[in-house]
Amino acid sequence: MAPSRGLPLLRHISRVLLGPHGSIALARRAISSFTEKLASPANKVQSYISSSRDPFLNLSIEDHILRTSPPDSVILFLYTNRPCVVIGRNQNPWTEVNLAILNAAAWGGRAAEGTASPTIGHVDLVRRRSGGGAVFHDEGNVNWSITCPMADFTRDKHAEMVVRALRGLGIERARVNKRHDIVLDQGHEKRDVDPYDTHMTTYTTDEGALPRPLKVSGSAYKLTRARALHHATTLLASPNLHIIPQYLHSPAKTFIQAKGVESVSSPVGNIGLEIAPFQSCLQEEFATMYGKAGKHCIVETVGEDHLKIPEIKKGYDELRTKDWMWSQTPQFTLTLRPWDDIGIDMNVHHGVIKTFEITGARRSTGNLEKVRSVLLKQKLQDIHNWHDFLRSHVIPWDPESTMIADWLEKLVPVPELPNI
Amino acid sequence: MAARLSAVRVARQLTSTASRRPSFLPSPCTQRAAVPLQRRLFTVSAAAKEKKYTEDHEWIDVSADGKTATLGISDYAAKALGDVVYIELPQVDMDVNAGDAIGAVESVKSASDILTPISGKVTEVNSALEEKPAGINKDPEGEGWIAKVQIEGEPEGKLMSKEEYTAFTEDA
Repeated sequence: MAPSRGLPLLRHISRVLLGPHGSIALARRAISSFTEKLASPANKVQSYISSSRDPFLNLSIEDHILRTSPPDSVILFLYTNRPCVVIGRNQNPWTEVNLAILNAAAWGGRAAEGTASPTIGHVDLVRRRSGGGAVFHDEGNVNWSITCPMADFTRDKHAEMVVRALRGLGIERARVNKRHDIVLDQGHEKRDVDPYDTHMTTYTTDEGALPRPLKVSGSAYKLTRARALHHATTLLASPNLHIIPQYLHSPAKTFIQAKGVESVSSPVGNIGLEIAPFQSCLQEEFATMYGKAGKHCIVETVGEDHLKIPEIKKGYDELRTKDWMWSQTPQFTLTLRPWDDIGIDMNVHHGVIKTFEITGARRSTGNLEKVRSVLLKQKLQDIHNWHDFLRSHVIPWDPESTMIADWLEKLVPVPELPNI
Repeated sequence: MAARLSAVRVARQLTSTASRRPSFLPSPCTQRAAVPLQRRLFTVSAAAKEKKYTEDHEWIDVSADGKTATLGISDYAAKALGDVVYIELPQVDMDVNAGDAIGAVESVKSASDILTPISGKVTEVNSALEEKPAGINKDPEGEGWIAKVQIEGEPEGKLMSKEEYTAFTEDA
């Protein structure tokens, strides 16, 4: 394995940027030089690590890399986020995420409903710009991303690179599966395989056979004319594996028919590595793959200071808007049958309630008609509490309206999230 | 140039209300296009009337009267993307500027934007694609059209004939 040429430089820059005596002037220079270096046609191979744990910032730095880096360059970017649930660009947060437990405070108030209460505090909700399904991030997870020319792009190429890095660290059960994710095979049998085959290990079982491989890394992509971004999670040592399913299972799933992309749920596992050695090894594997003679490899740390770069700030602000979080949701229909003689069908398109139909024998009740007219054309993202919202418009209030508000609050809540 | 366009693109991607921006906050695009727009409203030069292709792999087909453009993604793009599972269509009546993302396609965990090479107002969208996104793989340059735009101004960016586009994709 080739020695990493960049690491001493990385350590130096970290000291300059993050050291206790690092001055603002130095930081500013480092930031302006970031965009310059990133965009310079001379820098064909670049490698960055983020010191920030902010998922909105890291995704915005990544998007800036996708938009700014030279067309023929390859960029590696590594980052770790604080606990958050990240959904794909075209997903429905109400069907993919248990929104009621994101806010630690809200969970505390409803602890009676739940099982063991999570101990991880507030969990951010993020809609990323790439496709794919919902994932959970925390400090035991390293996200890696590769931005490369569209012409060289395949969906497996860089997952294979990561598998090589993992195997270099002794994780011999790692391989790329058919969904372009990385799994750890759980089979007992040792079969003869080519040790360089990144799609098979000696523990691979026949497809569908038990024990199932554990997913340790999930991929998603954003494609533009000239550039392709492949990013993925890597579960190294998450302390939260046991509660991840609670966050990714929504009580509304069976009531909502959603367009867009549905997550494919897989059993997950930890790889059991520490973050720093994995990052170094991945940087080395990347340098081996791309750092050919004559190509200088830039290796640097980025972080909170980069929020001062206007393009990054803009992307950051956009990811945190309610429009992006809630109204970007593809069209969906909620079908409720709370009682035998009454039902509700609500269609939401571009985040706005387009139809709200009350069906059944009791549909002509005056209050239900009022509920309907209040909700039609209403933007969902502006209803923070269904009880308060409906109560302020529907007078006199009655038990049926309470029931409807209860159901809607349970199934299509729009929680107040501190970062959105 | 690229940075400005991509910034506009993101704004559009993010919020449909961006199209209803108050007029005291014009985008750089509308400011710049203001003069030719008045002179050339609803007309497009004859050269643009055959089906053309962009470097972003969209096609644009201008109606015989030059007033309406139909937009879609090319056969090449549909093949390259693989099985499409979702298409985000623009909203009818939305004002779009050349270079804006007017929608997005998702296939095999990959999101890609659909860009419009022409400014104008969206008059119609192909709602059949919402029900059956895979329709775009079957006939991307026919039944799989994405939107119709009432044209304002000339197309922007490089537009290629079928032959030029074929050569372009073979080079890539």
